[in-house]
Amino acid sequence: MSESLPAPPPPAPAGVIHDIGYRHYDGPRLGRGHAAAALAVHSLRGVFGLGRTARAKIIPFVLFGIMMLPAVVSIAMMAILQERGVRYTEYAIVMQAIPAIFLASQSPYTVAPDLRFRVLPLYLSRPVTLWDYVGAKLAAMTAALFLLTAVPLTVLFVGELVVDMPGAVRTSEYLAGMAGALALSVLLAALGVAIASFTPRRGLGVAAVIAFYLLSTGVSTAVGRVLEQAGDFAAASWAWLISPFFLVDAAVQVGVFGMDGSGPGGYPEGVGVAAAIMIMVGLIALSVVALIARYRKAASR
Amino acid sequence: MTILATEELTRSFPRVTALDRLTVTVGPGVTGLVGANGAGKSTLIKILLGLLEPSSGDAQVLGMDVRTRGAEIRRVVGYMPEHDCLPPDLSATEFTVHMARMSGLPRTAARERAADVLRHVGLYEERYRVMGGYSTGMKQRVKLAQALVHDPQVVFLDEPTNGLDPQGRDEMLALIRRIGAEFGISVLVTSHLLGELERICDHVVVIDGGRLLRSSAIAEFTQATETVTVEVEEGQDVLAARLAELGESVTADGRTLLVRVRAPETYDALRDAVADLDLCLIRLEQGRRRIEDVFKEPADV
Repeated sequence: MSESLPAPPPPAPAGVIHDIGYRHYDGPRLGRGHAAAALAVHSLRGVFGLGRTARAKIIPFVLFGIMMLPAVVSIAMMAILQERGVRYTEYAIVMQAIPAIFLASQSPYTVAPDLRFRVLPLYLSRPVTLWDYVGAKLAAMTAALFLLTAVPLTVLFVGELVVDMPGAVRTSEYLAGMAGALALSVLLAALGVAIASFTPRRGLGVAAVIAFYLLSTGVSTAVGRVLEQAGDFAAASWAWLISPFFLVDAAVQVGVFGMDGSGPGGYPEGVGVAAAIMIMVGLIALSVVALIARYRKAASR
Repeated sequence: MTILATEELTRSFPRVTALDRLTVTVGPGVTGLVGANGAGKSTLIKILLGLLEPSSGDAQVLGMDVRTRGAEIRRVVGYMPEHDCLPPDLSATEFTVHMARMSGLPRTAARERAADVLRHVGLYEERYRVMGGYSTGMKQRVKLAQALVHDPQVVFLDEPTNGLDPQGRDEMLALIRRIGAEFGISVLVTSHLLGELERICDHVVVIDGGRLLRSSAIAEFTQATETVTVEVEEGQDVLAARLAELGESVTADGRTLLVRVRAPETYDALRDAVADLDLCLIRLEQGRRRIEDVFKEPADV
């Protein structure tokens, strides 16, 4: 066609749908980090039932509501009775059943469907690696638990500032409580996700995690009480550490921040603090190793 | 341009050798990978995705070594697994967007691409419903969509027509043909049915027991001989006898006769014979040799 003879453009008919055919994508392709972050956010939303059915939202939000109650009551007590309620560092321990149920009911959701419905190969056929996948899932569960445990503390702290109680504001106790909440979230998430990852069945995962919680708490209390009755308080102080909630209390809130313990008895001191920290970090590391091993096996199938 | 190449590729499992010194090269377009169940097709795809280490030998995708550049390969390759891989509580849109983000597409681009690709694979209003209620045909389309959503240069489709009814099968095959021809994406598609691959492939690779049986362009498979299929209402034997008399080579194949075309005169002889014998002609069809026939012949190629 000659360029010197431009054909008059035909009048474009209005309101016609054109099949523009396949279009290639030449926009940006972000790295693994973005994909892993997107996966973590997707999982975190899923843990709270966002983007899922209404039924999936019930348990997380009801638990979240219950978790908020002591904060609300404490603020009311401060405002009306001028009396302090629950302490920051004992909040998660007093309410420990709630984070435990939350962990048991929600951590299987983060991993089980991908195994059961075999979505995992789709992730692994993309730039995302096993480490990214496991990291994103752990980050999501940790963030969810941290929201559950830290939001009430923060609301309580804001309440305390607003009510303006006589005496100093318990800022250092609040910070210790927040650090404890973070450590607890990491530990519980690692344990919960690791346990849940061993079964593609969600119900079984829920049962396994709750069994783990009941067992560790039960053994910790039973052994501790027996040893106390026998008069061996030093040994009893170690027995409490079998419960993950008291372990974090001993390692972080008491050990690192020097707060009063919230356990049923005293915690080991001196070397015991270092040991508690080591046990906590060791448990987290062990969980991550178990997760990676589990997924190595799942991926090779 | 070479899409993928393997060199003496071997993969042994503890009890079975899935790939046995496989050397094959595949160019652009649609390539069929044919073999019985357990012939090593899925193992080959996993190695090409960098998800499985080869025991020995080399493999490259788009010139990249699968051992060292797996992540880069997975960025530009799409994979549709053979098995179910769809979480039932997500809609096709949500799932496809999520998978696009896992390939590194930013949020808005992922949404656009997902909408585009779902339209191309033929999912319209139903893409907003949760996938739990999808038919097999719809599920296969979503699986294909997630493999295309990041606009890969190559897609590996593992048994895409599995479980589809004849119409769904035809539509899927037409779609695969379009991916190769219109979308400009090279396709490696596996099947254990030769018949369906010969309709859409440019090239066919046949493996058996992890070894290469044959690799050649589809034309080479089907051009070799020309036959005419004749079906008459009655008097098939009479017609066969008359044609044999005239020096044509005739073989009976059920209710039809296969007549070898020696020269154009064969058609005349056939027409005259039918007319002379006053037979009722039902069908006269140019017979294309099918790939299956290649396997019936002694393996001299």
